[in-house]
Amino acid sequence: MIQAENVTKEFTVGKEVTSILKGVDLTIKEGEFVAIMGPSGSGKSTLLQLLGGLDVPTSGGVKLEGTALQKKNEKQRTIIRRKKIGFIFQNYQLLPTLTVLENIAFPLHADGKKVDPKEIEKLLQAVDLEGYERRFPHELSGGQQQRVAIARALIHQPAILLADEPTGNLDRERSSDILDIISNLHQKRGQTVVMVTHDMFAAGYADRILLFKDGIIETEVRREDEDYAAFLTRFMA
Amino acid sequence: MSVKHSLLALIYEKPRHGYELKTGFEDLVESMWPLNAGQVYTTLDRLERDELVASPGHDKKDRKLYTITDQGKEELWSWLKQPVSRSLLKDEFYFKYLCASHIDYEDKAHMIQMQKQTMVKDVLHLTHLKKEMNQSGNQTMKMLVEGALLHLEADIKWLDMIAGK
Repeated sequence: MIQAENVTKEFTVGKEVTSILKGVDLTIKEGEFVAIMGPSGSGKSTLLQLLGGLDVPTSGGVKLEGTALQKKNEKQRTIIRRKKIGFIFQNYQLLPTLTVLENIAFPLHADGKKVDPKEIEKLLQAVDLEGYERRFPHELSGGQQQRVAIARALIHQPAILLADEPTGNLDRERSSDILDIISNLHQKRGQTVVMVTHDMFAAGYADRILLFKDGIIETEVRREDEDYAAFLTRFMA
Repeated sequence: MSVKHSLLALIYEKPRHGYELKTGFEDLVESMWPLNAGQVYTTLDRLERDELVASPGHDKKDRKLYTITDQGKEELWSWLKQPVSRSLLKDEFYFKYLCASHIDYEDKAHMIQMQKQTMVKDVLHLTHLKKEMNQSGNQTMKMLVEGALLHLEADIKWLDMIAGK
């Protein structure tokens, strides 16, 4: 479970203080797929960074499976991240001098852990990149690079996947491929997924959409099965 | 939606009896629009009266079969080729917005927000439906869902636009 309690975040440049998050309360249950939507500058990416322990709030707190991240130092937060969280970014952030295989295995090497070839094989299959193991990032399309990034984010079997605009650099068809992969993996592995996006098409893959505006959650919408039947009737009417 | 023309299309595909047309129609729309048997037989009576279908006889179980006539084929082609005009301003929310603006309704922002929530929920449902279509392999229906999603996205953008005014 991820919990944010009255989280604020301010950035100071010179004498000017800019308030990005203005008191966010949020609970994300284990295994949930949540999308955070909002216009540029609304604070959604900042919130994702706080949920993943990449930064700490100015006030309020973030708890990850009961651990208050703001009470941990940078080194401790890094250990928590390596163990529990997988990150996917808009610009893929692959290491250009490493092959697909090496990029995927990198989090394990960085953590001094052994690589399980079967797990790599399963992930390559899940992201449809079998046969691409020895290629370098510059030999891949944007969609393929993002699929490598997804496999890399999942190699250490994290409980939580945090994705910041994972389809932001992709066209609609490639976006569909990436979102299908994230959605299928979420269903099969039961990971908690939190995805920041400005794209309603991408957000539709979630169970719940949080609409962000000016540093607060303005409203939230969730898909409920009881409404689905009525929707289907209306859809065809 | 034209039940008449969808039945013509199903009979064009192969001769069918009434019950087969009902199940064929439900397969066509992925069971999302149940069609009652009465509506099938009433439509068939009209199609036969207008000589768009004919009955060559009955099957082994004594069920009346229908085939499409040349006139029926012409009617089907003509319907398929005819472009569909859309009355863009007939959307009920457009009228609500028009009336609300006209009377300076004080809760217009809330009205827009509630509409947006409903549409966002539809996006969630539609995407779920699209995932179901991926599994069932119905590419045509998946394309319809994609089309509906694009319409919704445009509507939500428009709501954001008027909310900012």
